[in-house]
Amino acid sequence: MAPITGLSHLVNPLATPDQLANSSSQIDGVPGDLEDSVRFEGVKLIQAASVLLRLPQELAAEAIVIFTRFWVGSEGGSLIVNNAKDVASASLYLTAKPSAHPVSPRLLLTTFEYLDKARPLHSVTSRNSVQPEDCFLSEGSYHAARKVLIKTEAQILRTLGYQTHVALPFTLCINYLQALDAFKDQHAQALARRAFAHLNTALLSPQLLYLTYQPPALATAAIYLAAKEVEVKLPGDEWWEVFDLDREELGFLVVAMMSMAGFAEEEAVKWGKRKVPLTADEVQSEVEKRRLLDAGE
Amino acid sequence: MVSRWADDDEDAALEAQRKKEKEEKKRAKAEKQRKAEEAEKRRQQQQQQQEAAAESTNGSSERPSKRRRLSADQATTTEDDSASQPRPLLRFDAPSWGPARSVENFERLNHIEEGSYGYVSRAREIATGEIVAIKRMKMEGSEHSGFPVTALREIQTLNAARHRHIVELREVVNGEGGKVEDVYLVMEFLEHDLKTLMEDMEEPFLPSEVKTLMLQLGSAVEFLHDRWILHRDLKTSNILMNNRGEIKIADFGMARFCGNPPPSNLTQLVVTLWYRSPELLLGTTTYDSSVDMWSTGCIFGELLTKDPLLQGKNEVDQLSKIFELCGIPTEEIWPGFRKLPNARSLRLPRTTQTTGSVIRSKFPFLTTAGNALLATLLSLNPAKRPSASELLAHPYFREDPRPKSTAMFPTFPSKAGQERRRRQATPNAPIRGEGKAMGDVDFSGIFAGRENEDVGGGFQLKLI
Ligand SMILES: Nc1ncnc2c1ncn2[C@@H]1O[C@H](COP(=O)(O)OP(=O)(O)OP(=O)(O)O)[C@@H](O)[C@H]1O
Ligand SMILES: [Mg+2]
Repeated sequence: MAPITGLSHLVNPLATPDQLANSSSQIDGVPGDLEDSVRFEGVKLIQAASVLLRLPQELAAEAIVIFTRFWVGSEGGSLIVNNAKDVASASLYLTAKPSAHPVSPRLLLTTFEYLDKARPLHSVTSRNSVQPEDCFLSEGSYHAARKVLIKTEAQILRTLGYQTHVALPFTLCINYLQALDAFKDQHAQALARRAFAHLNTALLSPQLLYLTYQPPALATAAIYLAAKEVEVKLPGDEWWEVFDLDREELGFLVVAMMSMAGFAEEEAVKWGKRKVPLTADEVQSEVEKRRLLDAGE
Repeated sequence: MVSRWADDDEDAALEAQRKKEKEEKKRAKAEKQRKAEEAEKRRQQQQQQQEAAAESTNGSSERPSKRRRLSADQATTTEDDSASQPRPLLRFDAPSWGPARSVENFERLNHIEEGSYGYVSRAREIATGEIVAIKRMKMEGSEHSGFPVTALREIQTLNAARHRHIVELREVVNGEGGKVEDVYLVMEFLEHDLKTLMEDMEEPFLPSEVKTLMLQLGSAVEFLHDRWILHRDLKTSNILMNNRGEIKIADFGMARFCGNPPPSNLTQLVVTLWYRSPELLLGTTTYDSSVDMWSTGCIFGELLTKDPLLQGKNEVDQLSKIFELCGIPTEEIWPGFRKLPNARSLRLPRTTQTTGSVIRSKFPFLTTAGNALLATLLSLNPAKRPSASELLAHPYFREDPRPKSTAMFPTFPSKAGQERRRRQATPNAPIRGEGKAMGDVDFSGIFAGRENEDVGGGFQLKLI
């Protein structure tokens, strides 16, 4: 395993090229686009849960990064073996635990139970069809679920080599805007809001932006894109170089961030009213179904 | 009770089987990819040859730019001027992650010391022969809430604290066969801890040596506080020393990240009794880095005499020992101390003649500057204690004798090298997650006897 080196708020551990090229799920036969869909759904689940639990967005973001790291590499978790749903809840549990906002297993599990029933989350009808009593966990199922939660948490920790450091770009983004004197502009509020929105959306990126770029690069690209959108002129021609980003990387990140809306739309169309599989069994049957369809063609 | 890990052996076998299969699949995939890449390379070569052929016919050498145009208004910055003046951009070497290894990669040599939260062995990494220290994490309560939050914080804070005077956490490993319910920290090994070392020394450290040690300690504490880490258990047994005169802070079992302003619900059950600050003893739940500075003061005193400075028998006794040494708090010295949970019923003598600090008389051989430093570190009022940076800038360190260079430090035989360190009884670190330290203590009687006495004398404390 790679040695642990000093980590700060600027530096994240990043996925290696080998980890990016070989996911455990793909080795197990899960098609790449299905893997993207499941991961996307899991991330949305974490995001929704942390809103319901009134957790700060930073915690949700950290949990999402932990969740995403878990699946990369041949030694990472596999969607054929691990329930994405369990990994999602354990990621949030693990992240909240040492923070100022820990969540009890019961509250956490009930929240995920509700959200899982209310899926697809974009559909109002499916959300409204869930009754409170449907989410009540009996003592027996609570104990079983807690056991799974604890086991999954241990597995996440082992898979990540107990490396749970996540550096986020949000504070940095504010610092950069200040450094660029952007707060003098009349559209400063809108600019900051757009930049944050891009940083949050990037958490859902199938290109694993938070696993491949450091916070300064993410913050810079989000500001670039936001400035274009709200038409704020930033000083200098190549101001991003001040933040150690080159034009090529900036270009890549901007394109990746802009493509998110399209990706989300495609996903919604692709799955419609169907639930994206979030357990190992569901993923397995989806893989088999696709195999049969392919063979039939 | 049926173990919640009952199915683990089976799991482990399955896991091993899966891993093997996965390796094979990965190899197959890599081979496929290699072939695809080769094909792509051949294709590119062909294309290049074709282009070269085309170029030589039409004379143009323009190739599509690799860079993406970001937008129309960027077009004004020409490719050339950015290319002609490449600016140096900062690049980090990003760390990565991989699954925790198993403790089987290490050969255990001997136990070092049994602590309250784990135990520590000297070990050798089989592959490299390197000597390391391995600390087993206590996993209490994990059946209810999973991986202990304290263990999580210990790992996270240690990871964030790479410093010359902080023990290096190399990796975290699991039990035999990857058993996740056994977790060990693998650290660099140091020959001594300050407590055991001083117990074996005939004489205390020399003043020049104390200075060096305090500077090293101060620099580590400064580093931690700069990164919003509170150690919360600084004491001589948690300070390790190698044979090169270097000390390193260890045992982050109580440490946590803590912002500014600090959270308002911190447990006061931190810091081993003898090093615990008066505000903690009085039950505060908002505190900051000044609790570590108090402990640093206690360590300073201990280095000078080699005896722990304030050896209370319990919380109440500890507090009275503190007041005996540092004087009685007043509203003037420490505004608002009366409002602390355990101070409400505190009755203090009305006269102030005999209630000042006696630190000076306890350290007759310490210079005036040294005394001043010790006294500010041991300020009853937390706000009056210096920060670690202020400590490092104190005149004490610039006056003679100068800090001794670490190269000149004597080497001591290591106890950890051969046998288990034997240590005289010291209070254990507090047990975490328990209730209040001093819920049912009546303080009203503390100074009752003192008012009738003329001078000096111990305080009497009553526990109800
Ligand atoms: N890296 C190391 N090298 C050598 N000895 C070590 C190392 N780490 C710890 N020790 C020894 O083991 C003892 C206990 O370690 P540590 O304080 O980390 O554990 P603990 O169980 O949290 O202790 P406690 O609760 O008693 O404070 C130390 O006092 C020291 O003697
Ligand atoms: Mg200790």
